Amino acid sequence: MSEKNLYGHDQLNIIYDQAQIETKITEMGKKISADYAGLDLILVGVLRGSIFFLVDLTRKMHIPFAIDFISISNYSEQTDATGVVRITKDLDLSITGKHVLVVEDIVDTGLSLGYLLRNLRSRNPASLKVCTLVNVEARRIVEVPVDYKGFDTPNVFVVGYGLDYNEKYRNLQFIAQFDRP
Amino acid sequence: MGIITISREFGSGGEIVARFVAEKTGFLLVNKDTIVRGLAEHGIQVPKPNKEDLGAKEQEGQGEGKYIEAMHDFIYDLAIRNNLVILGRGGTILFHDYPPALHVRIIAHFTERVRRVMKTYDLASETAVRLVKEQDREKIRYFRQIFNSNWNNLRLYDMVLNTEKMDFEDTADLIIAAYRIHAEPREVKDAPPPGEIEERISIPQAEAEAEMFMHPSEEEFAHMLDFYRIRWQYEPRTFFLEWDSEGNVVEAFSPDFYLPDQDLFIELTTQKPRQAWKKNRKIRRMKELYPDISVRLIDKRGFESLLKKHSIDQDEGEDGDN
Repeated sequence: MSEKNLYGHDQLNIIYDQAQIETKITEMGKKISADYAGLDLILVGVLRGSIFFLVDLTRKMHIPFAIDFISISNYSEQTDATGVVRITKDLDLSITGKHVLVVEDIVDTGLSLGYLLRNLRSRNPASLKVCTLVNVEARRIVEVPVDYKGFDTPNVFVVGYGLDYNEKYRNLQFIAQFDRP
Repeated sequence: MGIITISREFGSGGEIVARFVAEKTGFLLVNKDTIVRGLAEHGIQVPKPNKEDLGAKEQEGQGEGKYIEAMHDFIYDLAIRNNLVILGRGGTILFHDYPPALHVRIIAHFTERVRRVMKTYDLASETAVRLVKEQDREKIRYFRQIFNSNWNNLRLYDMVLNTEKMDFEDTADLIIAAYRIHAEPREVKDAPPPGEIEERISIPQAEAEAEMFMHPSEEEFAHMLDFYRIRWQYEPRTFFLEWDSEGNVVEAFSPDFYLPDQDLFIELTTQKPRQAWKKNRKIRRMKELYPDISVRLIDKRGFESLLKKHSIDQDEGEDGDN
């Protein structure tokens, strides 16, 4: 399906439309609700891309939970070539002894998620799992566990539903392949 | 004084090439033998490691240091009175600051070098592989210890020649032609003054690291692993893939990176997809022969998306992994 001249671009090719995404998120919400019933759950949203998915996911859940956010620096934004990854916005809540579900919009190389999991694991949560809307196995460099995934996507650049290009397109209600200029 | 320095990988045929260059130019060939003999005439002997007294390690090192100092004086002395072809011995570093010198590196693929060594010295493949690796390691050690420099840094050389498809004598002719052009430079017009060029060239901060990689994409990849605090090793292991009917290794594969925490080998390729099948085939073969070893090929497309996503100086956003 091709969406011409959207946002003044003709480079967008929808790969998952709004209805497909809603169906998928409904399934995921049900599954997570069943798996975490009766447990002390904290959803950890990874800024910034995951917020759209996180909001819609929680609306499909029917168990109590807490929400918190975390953000880490990435390689593209560093100014010093000798820098290392660090947390730029930490959790406000303590996760020790809690069941933690990390919510990502996309898992591709596994590099940033790998670091995040190592960091969170050191805080001794009761359990630590990962949920992502988009999973790009073809780009994986380090293995990371993905417990709940929406779509297994081939190695293409995607935008929409939280995923951006130059901070644009996050608000699209669908996920589209984007040919970078 | 005319100086041509030739550094070579063991089994690349660099010795033969150097001999041809010396014969054709009439330059004096300086190799290990020349130096040992020359120094012996001055009463300086190669220090022998004293194996009986293990406590004398430090003295041993000092002896080695003095010998190397004498060797360097000897080469400089020779160079004042003669035109030289210097084989090995860190010639490229010794005459680095002497612009008329031409610095050449002779290389060949690992399997080809093993094949030649087997033939030349009549060795079994395992012995030849061990010997080639030992010699490579020894050269790296020598450079690091004596010059605090990386032997594999190809930027130390003016030209790098692969002898796999070229006759040794042709290789020598090429070097001589290059030396003549180099030694009698034509006037370059409209070249910007050196200062201007330097301002435009950005020097990599991790120069020391940069020296060990064969390709800029490998360096970038290593930087990215460093950023995410993932431990890595560069080309730590060679896997044999094909043998001929006599049991000689004819194909081998050294993946670019090993990530010890993931127990994973990674091979990067920035080749065009059409050429990538060759590497894909090697990886398939490796998986057949070494099913317990995890190896991952990061292809051009995959790697470009990584670089674009992670590159420092581009104004593009990223697709939301973080």
